[in-house]
Amino acid sequence: MAEVQLQGLFKNYKGAARPAVQDVSFTVQDGEFMVLLGPSGCGKSTTLRMIAGLESISDGQLVIGGRVVNEVAAKDRDIAMVFQSYALYPHMTVADNLSFGLRRRKIDEAQIAARVKSAASILGLGELLERKPFALSGGQRQRVALGRAIVREPQVFLFDEPLSNLDAALRVATRNELVRLHHRLGATMVYVTHDQVEAMTMGQRICVMNGGQVAQIGRPLDVYKAPADVFVAQFLGNPPMNILAAQLQAAGGEAQALTGDGAVLPLRRWRDRLAGMRAVKLGMRPEELSIESPDTAGPALLRGVVAAVEPLGAETLVNVMLDGNAGEVIARLHRDADAALGQRVSVYVPEAALYLFDAATGKAIEAP
Amino acid sequence: MNALPSAINPASVGLTTRRATELLTGWLRQGGLMAVVVLYTLFAALPFGWIATMSVRTTSEISARHFAWPEQWHWEKFRIAWVDSNFAQYFWNSALVVVSAVAIVTLLGAAAAHCLARYNFRGNRLVYFILFSSIVFPPQIILISLFQVLVEYDLYNSRLGLTLVYVSLQLPMTVYLLESFFARIPQDLFDAAKIDGYSDFEIFWRIVLPVGMPAIATTIILNFIQLWNEFLFAVVLLSDQDKRTLPIGIRAYMGDYFQDIGMIATGMMIAVIPVVILYAFFSEKLIQGMTAGAVK
Amino acid sequence: MLAAWLAAPEADSRRASLPTVMAFLAPALLVYAALTAYPVVRTFYNSFFNIGDIASTDFVGWAHYRAVLHDEMFWKAVRNTAIWSVVGPVLDVSIGLLLALALYAGVPFARFLRVAWFTPVLLSYVVVGIMWVWIYNYDWGIVNVWLRAIGLESWAKAWLGDPAYALGSVIVTHAWKWAGFNMVVCLAALHSLPSEVLEAADLDNCGWRAKLIHIIVPMLWPTLLNLYILAFIGKMKVFDLVFIMTEGGPVWSTETVSTYVYKRAFNWNTFDLGYPSAIAVVWFLVVIGFVVGLNLLFRRRERLEY
Repeated sequence: MAEVQLQGLFKNYKGAARPAVQDVSFTVQDGEFMVLLGPSGCGKSTTLRMIAGLESISDGQLVIGGRVVNEVAAKDRDIAMVFQSYALYPHMTVADNLSFGLRRRKIDEAQIAARVKSAASILGLGELLERKPFALSGGQRQRVALGRAIVREPQVFLFDEPLSNLDAALRVATRNELVRLHHRLGATMVYVTHDQVEAMTMGQRICVMNGGQVAQIGRPLDVYKAPADVFVAQFLGNPPMNILAAQLQAAGGEAQALTGDGAVLPLRRWRDRLAGMRAVKLGMRPEELSIESPDTAGPALLRGVVAAVEPLGAETLVNVMLDGNAGEVIARLHRDADAALGQRVSVYVPEAALYLFDAATGKAIEAP
Repeated sequence: MNALPSAINPASVGLTTRRATELLTGWLRQGGLMAVVVLYTLFAALPFGWIATMSVRTTSEISARHFAWPEQWHWEKFRIAWVDSNFAQYFWNSALVVVSAVAIVTLLGAAAAHCLARYNFRGNRLVYFILFSSIVFPPQIILISLFQVLVEYDLYNSRLGLTLVYVSLQLPMTVYLLESFFARIPQDLFDAAKIDGYSDFEIFWRIVLPVGMPAIATTIILNFIQLWNEFLFAVVLLSDQDKRTLPIGIRAYMGDYFQDIGMIATGMMIAVIPVVILYAFFSEKLIQGMTAGAVK
Repeated sequence: MLAAWLAAPEADSRRASLPTVMAFLAPALLVYAALTAYPVVRTFYNSFFNIGDIASTDFVGWAHYRAVLHDEMFWKAVRNTAIWSVVGPVLDVSIGLLLALALYAGVPFARFLRVAWFTPVLLSYVVVGIMWVWIYNYDWGIVNVWLRAIGLESWAKAWLGDPAYALGSVIVTHAWKWAGFNMVVCLAALHSLPSEVLEAADLDNCGWRAKLIHIIVPMLWPTLLNLYILAFIGKMKVFDLVFIMTEGGPVWSTETVSTYVYKRAFNWNTFDLGYPSAIAVVWFLVVIGFVVGLNLLFRRRERLEY
């Protein structure tokens, strides 16, 4: 097992306007499960492929297990990769798929047999060993791809969106299997996905990427509770965080936010961090909001009209269109919540649940 | 482990020599590849180049030195071949027969292909199979009886007869190529047209033909080239000298003027020019059309 | 109005009335029936007769077929055609594959080369034949001139004049024409290989040679097989090239079944269309038999889903 260190990695493609990967640095600890998360085109797969050696590194250093591997060929980096399409050799049986790489490395037959047997038992492939890939289901193929990685006994496992081709139910089951596998093997794993649910449930730490750059790294819940910018805030969480534009004003020595619908939200927590700023972006998670009747008085009450009600069974999502073209907010309410289409309501936002972001850069403004 | 500077660190020295050998084998491989490429290009192109140069040299020049670059470019040989040696007539015959045959087979083939691709009726697959399977028939199975048939109907030694035979020769392949393309046209297009009140024939004329134009163009080009070069049936079914098509003409030329290499070369160039022109404009379509269905 | 539309029988554009279907199919079927189907049947019919001249027919039963079995020249032609059909495709397809690999591995001007190497496929057999007759010429053909130039005088042969070499020479010419076709198909197949499988092979410690042997060729196998079968069928029918280059000589060493049928029918001292019809029928059945057999044999092997 080994530590993977990315130091200022860049990837430039000829003729592209901006680098596909820009100054990406992080360290995956020995035995850690790190998830690279981001929308398509954010550079996460490119970063993974640079770690694998399938893409060349334009600038920066890559260190695996203490040695710099920029110029080392992929096959010599002691890594194993599970591809999105599984990439099984279609003309070989499962057993041959598993043992092919080991044979090419001239490992002796006894060792090969032992490793194949062990991987097959961990993944439940025992009966499938003589089948060819076309006779396997999607989930089975995925396990063979995993098996192929396991028998290599590599220092680092790399996963490139391995669950995207599975149907929803299988995805959940396989997710848990992978977590258990990680627990069992204690291996260093780098996992790429665009699905934030996978990231949140599987990663010990997640690295959110956007536009080729790292937006934030941290433990899943930490990133969820303290997003570094608007992008990360909206990427995690479903439904996404509500973002509203607001003007700042001072009243009685305290900062207040004024939203387009006329609501006033006190910003006591931020004290003097907001000096000199005129506008700000407010963030609030749907689960922190509550719907009140329009007659309720007091601060921190957004006003608007119910635009949609989505009873999901376990909970109800209510979509409120705010007055004055201020925007829309979605609230996640208890399943028996009472809201009707077209109804006038107030939305209460507790100050503790507010996030502030710079209006221009989108970066989070932290409360002291 | 980090005590030694990297220049004499054994691990990284090993790395550098390995990288050097990788580079070297890489260059050797590139060199080997280039050698293969150059050799084969010569192999493929030289014969053609040779003929081309011979076509502008006189036979006496050629007999003297068979492989020289033309000193004098005898372009008038083309004129001579065209006019004096009847190549104009042969060219005209080929053009007449081939263009007519291609036009007819395209129309007939498209109509049949559309019907097979679009309409469900009992026997649809049977008809398709019957038409399609004849692609593998060796030509001899119909050669002799076609000869008889044409003679009996007074179409022997006529360009009309040959045209009809050419249509029948290319029909299976045309139907095959067009049917697979037409089948991919979305059904919605036809449903909408039906609702708009178009009749079946109008649909064929106004929708299938325009939409299917890429595939139709491909079959036109393919049929043209195959029929332009066709030899066996032309040799059997035509006997008059002035009805000969170009391939027969060239061969007869070779028979009559066996030693007149220069003129034969010129004749060959004349035969090849239409194909080369088509190829220059439509190489991609041609290649795709001819190799369709071969990749599995 | 809606009700009327719903009730109309041809509202479903997937069904058409019989007259419509016939209108589309009839012209093509007519041509097919008259110029393909009927002639096939008639050839079968002919084979049971002596047809001394267009009008007269003389029933002879199975006599022709029995004669075919004992016809030495027929068997020679069969042998030649068989050699051609079995050996030729191997040459064609392997050269095509090698060329495709060269282009795939990345050489400059790959796109131009692909187009250039395809050109011989388009030339007529007449042009190709005459070209190569000259190339094989004993005195001044490129092959012998070059052999003499590099000092291999004894290797210079009468390529088309010597029965021992004639068949091989013609096969090489045929391969020259068709290699480009196989190259294009193999190239397309190579490009359609899933790149992730090749990357997995990279990670599995495969150099380019191992990748070629263990991954690329096995995955290309269905296409290669297909090309082989196509080439096989094509060579069973070959006529034009032989006719132009050697006319079946010298001494029947390049005679193929096709040229033999032609000769018996149109170029023989006795005129009889019945006998060559019998040969044609026999050969037809052989070719069809092979096509069906090959298809059955290899249909099952084609499931290489990626």
